[in-house]
Amino acid sequence: MRVSYSWLRDLIDVPEAPEELSREYIRTGTEVEAIDTVGDTFDHVVTAQVVSKELHPDSDHLWVTKVDVGRFNLGENGEPEPLQIVCGAQNFNEGDHIVTALVGAELPGGIKIKKSKLRGVVSCGMNCSARELGLSGDHSGIMILPSDAPVGVPFAEYHGSSDTVLDCEITPNRPDCLSMIGMAVETSAIFDRDTHIELPKIEHEDGSVHVDDLVDVTIEAPELCSRYTARVVRGVKIGPSPEWLASRVAAAGMRPINNVVDVTNYVMMLTGQPLHAFDLGKLTERDGHRHVVVRAAADGERIVTLDGVERELSDDMCVITDDGARPVCLAGVMGSLDSEIDEATHDVLLEAACFDSSHISRTSRNLSLISEASIRYERQVDRTRCAEVSRIAAALFEQCCGATVVSGAIDIYPVPVEPATITLRPARACAIAGADIPAEFMAARLTRLGCTVEDGADGALAVTVPTNRPDLEREIDLIEEVVRLWGMDTVPATIPAARNHIGGLTHDQRLRRRISDIMRSCGLNETLSYAFAAPDDLERCGMTDEGHGVPVKIMRPLVAEQSEMRRTLLPGLLTSVAYNEAHGQSNVHLFEMGTLFHGRENASTPKERQSIAGVLSGAWGDITWNQKYAPLRFFDGKGVIEELLSQLRVEKVRFRVPEGEGYGFLQPGRGAEVLSGGTVLGWVGEIHPAVREEFDIALPVVAFELSLDTLMRCANDQGAYREFSTYPSVDVDLAIVVDEGVTCETLVQRITSAGGKLLRDVRLFDVYRDDERVGAGKKSMAFALTYRADDHTLTSEEVERCHGRLVTKVCRAVGGEVRS
Amino acid sequence: MSVLDDLEALASRAEEMIEGASDAEKLETARVALLGRKGELTAFMHMMGKVSPEERPVLGKRANEVRRMVESLIERRGNGLRREAMEALIGAEAVDVTLPGARPVLGHQHLITQIQQEIEDVFCAIGYTVEAGPEVETSWYNFTALNAPMDHPSRSARDTFYVVDNAPGSVAHPEPHATGESDVLLRTQTSGGQIHIMEHQKPPIYAIVPGTVYRPDTADACHLPQFHQVEGLVVDEGITFGDLKGTLDYFAKAMFGPDRKTRYRPHFFPFTEPSCELDVSCHVCGGKGCSFCKHSGWIEILGCGMVDPNVLINCGVDPERYTGFAFGIGVERVAALRYDLPDLRALMTGDMRFLAQF
Repeated sequence: MRVSYSWLRDLIDVPEAPEELSREYIRTGTEVEAIDTVGDTFDHVVTAQVVSKELHPDSDHLWVTKVDVGRFNLGENGEPEPLQIVCGAQNFNEGDHIVTALVGAELPGGIKIKKSKLRGVVSCGMNCSARELGLSGDHSGIMILPSDAPVGVPFAEYHGSSDTVLDCEITPNRPDCLSMIGMAVETSAIFDRDTHIELPKIEHEDGSVHVDDLVDVTIEAPELCSRYTARVVRGVKIGPSPEWLASRVAAAGMRPINNVVDVTNYVMMLTGQPLHAFDLGKLTERDGHRHVVVRAAADGERIVTLDGVERELSDDMCVITDDGARPVCLAGVMGSLDSEIDEATHDVLLEAACFDSSHISRTSRNLSLISEASIRYERQVDRTRCAEVSRIAAALFEQCCGATVVSGAIDIYPVPVEPATITLRPARACAIAGADIPAEFMAARLTRLGCTVEDGADGALAVTVPTNRPDLEREIDLIEEVVRLWGMDTVPATIPAARNHIGGLTHDQRLRRRISDIMRSCGLNETLSYAFAAPDDLERCGMTDEGHGVPVKIMRPLVAEQSEMRRTLLPGLLTSVAYNEAHGQSNVHLFEMGTLFHGRENASTPKERQSIAGVLSGAWGDITWNQKYAPLRFFDGKGVIEELLSQLRVEKVRFRVPEGEGYGFLQPGRGAEVLSGGTVLGWVGEIHPAVREEFDIALPVVAFELSLDTLMRCANDQGAYREFSTYPSVDVDLAIVVDEGVTCETLVQRITSAGGKLLRDVRLFDVYRDDERVGAGKKSMAFALTYRADDHTLTSEEVERCHGRLVTKVCRAVGGEVRS
Repeated sequence: MSVLDDLEALASRAEEMIEGASDAEKLETARVALLGRKGELTAFMHMMGKVSPEERPVLGKRANEVRRMVESLIERRGNGLRREAMEALIGAEAVDVTLPGARPVLGHQHLITQIQQEIEDVFCAIGYTVEAGPEVETSWYNFTALNAPMDHPSRSARDTFYVVDNAPGSVAHPEPHATGESDVLLRTQTSGGQIHIMEHQKPPIYAIVPGTVYRPDTADACHLPQFHQVEGLVVDEGITFGDLKGTLDYFAKAMFGPDRKTRYRPHFFPFTEPSCELDVSCHVCGGKGCSFCKHSGWIEILGCGMVDPNVLINCGVDPERYTGFAFGIGVERVAALRYDLPDLRALMTGDMRFLAQF
């Protein structure tokens, strides 16, 4: 809402400085987005007088004029000298006072004035029309000033048009503030000061004919239209608006068009009631009458709106029709092109009506069509004032368009609205505010807002609220008014005691933070990816739907690649690897903790799963003087997972070759399922080169994804302290030659179970292959075994006996032999 | 030559041998030659039995003195040699300390998580709990229960990502919808968390709900279709607007610095009344007005207000007995303000250079 300072000043006394008013508006809830000075655009525009006017030697419609601009153009002798300007207008004579834009001026329409030649004649400026100055729609010729206008003064100074406009953001609950009268009332409550609003009155109604003789109105859709008033004015003389009217419309941010349209816009800006002017002559006459029918649109019905766009309507939209047939207006939003007021318009049918806010809102949304009218209807228009506003507009048609007002008005208003009365308990207001606000203050300011306040029972106030305040329905709504006018900044700040309440993070919240800490200690950077997914994300990764639910599909996605919700974190992380590679960062260590969305065939909402995933690519660091380049491969990723699970005290951790088709994204032989006992936590492995290609990644990537939910369930808290043995341990190395097919896990399991309770640790320290020394298809696995007893120092005989038994059992179990 | 002379000669020879030993090995050889089982001094001591009784006291005394002297000389020489060896080693091991060290690789926490956790910690410190809610919400939780009118513009498919409903009408509170809309949506705000909390907990409630939210804004420098909010909710007996101010003043100072001033501007949100926006004084100009704060001296950081009685009623809480306040903080906004981020999209690329900065 653009609030013109000079207009507001006509309605109420306001502070001299717009900044002060702006401060008070902001303090009480009207955001001021900008303070604009209108008139800045009149830079290099001056008042002038035509000295001479001669026909252009090379044209039959251009004039070569000499224009006196006073001291704005000086000759060689330093004295004022007339400017030569070529001009195409026909409406002026020598001696006329006019407005001239000098070289360097920039006019409201964006025209920049430069020195130029028009058909060979030099022109040093432009004589301006009112439209070129943005003052009205008048472009019939240049603007002629009164003969007593001074010559050679800045036009802004002469015109006095230097107005200030506060560009206010009106919250959607305050339709009343989408009008100058509403802003005046709001201002009156802020400053506790009277308004002085004077409204134009109809001078003379033409009693010879009654509106009922000319028009009738039928509302066929009362749920869409709760009130419809109509007046007729005749004999309008379409033309540019008087300057005061045009400048107000312009200050409000609308383009002055002609006097009839400008009046409807002006009255809408003044009162908040949208108006529509139909050319009566364009409506069909039947039985000596025009018949206006308000009805729901038919599905697929079409209308070309004023902006020239043909629009297809649906049956929840409301149209004003010519005799029930042709729609002449998309009710509450925009008129049709073919019923528009034009230069030939003689009689005007003026509509001041009230349409249902939610239907207008939906219509506007569905057609992507927002107008000053729809903005107001959407927020609710006060239906008690239609008739009064219609009279104001008729008076202005009389005043500004030379119209005759036909007597009477049509007013279809089936269910009149009565103002509501709300009980306000001042004590309750104080309790909610946390401030001692006197009841007198409340009563006084609510009265300023247009409420009627009376004393009620038990010290309460009975507050009758004005009908243009749909936001005032309950006591809390009045309390809000009281608090914002009292001043939120003056309410003392306190901190609640929070009795009988204990806060802080839960066990699981702390565990989740700890998991993130461990990942970072392992060298991985936390990242965030979009939770959106492309429909082919799983396919690109070589994953199947199994275990991932059905996709959650977005009805109107921004882009096709973001039309679903993710079911795995992997594609997002691979995209980041590719991004880094493409930006010269080949060492990538990322992890993400986030939500996966597993939709369900027959449920509205998906299962939301928490997941943790990571990617390692390149190396931990580039080569340095003391560190070799060590490419990150499978065991680096596995090591991270081992460390994570160990830190979380997950028991019975196992890695096994993944089975089934769900793991096509892993390079065969370099991927593993991660388990705790029989529970699958997730997987770790190198991404299949074909998948890397799909994502444009050159370097190997080792990745993992674990179910965070399962991981947190499998994590164990710190147990009680365990004593460690003070007796010395004995270390024995064992190198055993086995077939390639024997896994490390099998060997360790055999060794552990054969070692009995004296064997405390098994550590693989070497894997050796050599066709000659070890044998083809075989490998030597070297383990360091640690023996120890808790209650005595082991003797060498004990160790030898135990170790000997272990070697025999293990060799037999795995078909291996000790390498000597 | 007397035996005593022999002893004195041995003593001076021993001193030469010890002092002349150039390393630990030679010193050991000298020690063995003197004090070993077959050493000269040992041999001399054994010889004492053969000395006449008259000479024995004088000679014995002197012999013991010589032996102690030799032992002490060996020890001193040994210490000297060890020190020399250590110094040689130290000299050999000296490095250019300006060479880069061998650094362990540590990861960084994402900026958004850092700020989110900081906010959690600020509120946990005054007794709040941290709650969560689903990201795929229903329109009841995201809008209706929060007192948003059925035709509120924020419900339009232009402002909300709606999701294909696989089982229309099966949610807890099904509603009529325009084309392109459904009962199921990606939450546009964490405010729905208020409803979930009140459904599961009785007052007193002091809670925050951090989380990811979604809106159909094409990603640009200032917008992301997916971002983060922290919702706050307090419901208790006797909660006032002053309590809201005290709590958020504390938050603003904790997050932005103790010198920052606050300003509460009345505003409108469907789920709070009175509602307001909280500004903090601009850190760039200190409140005088500059281009960063668009010459207002203030920077908007969050929206807040007293919980609307309708919201309490929708959750079965008696608004006459309990009052409360709620607030919503934009995490990206805090990040952008604190670190002067020129482009929010950098938060979502996983760029190692960006991540390692924070």
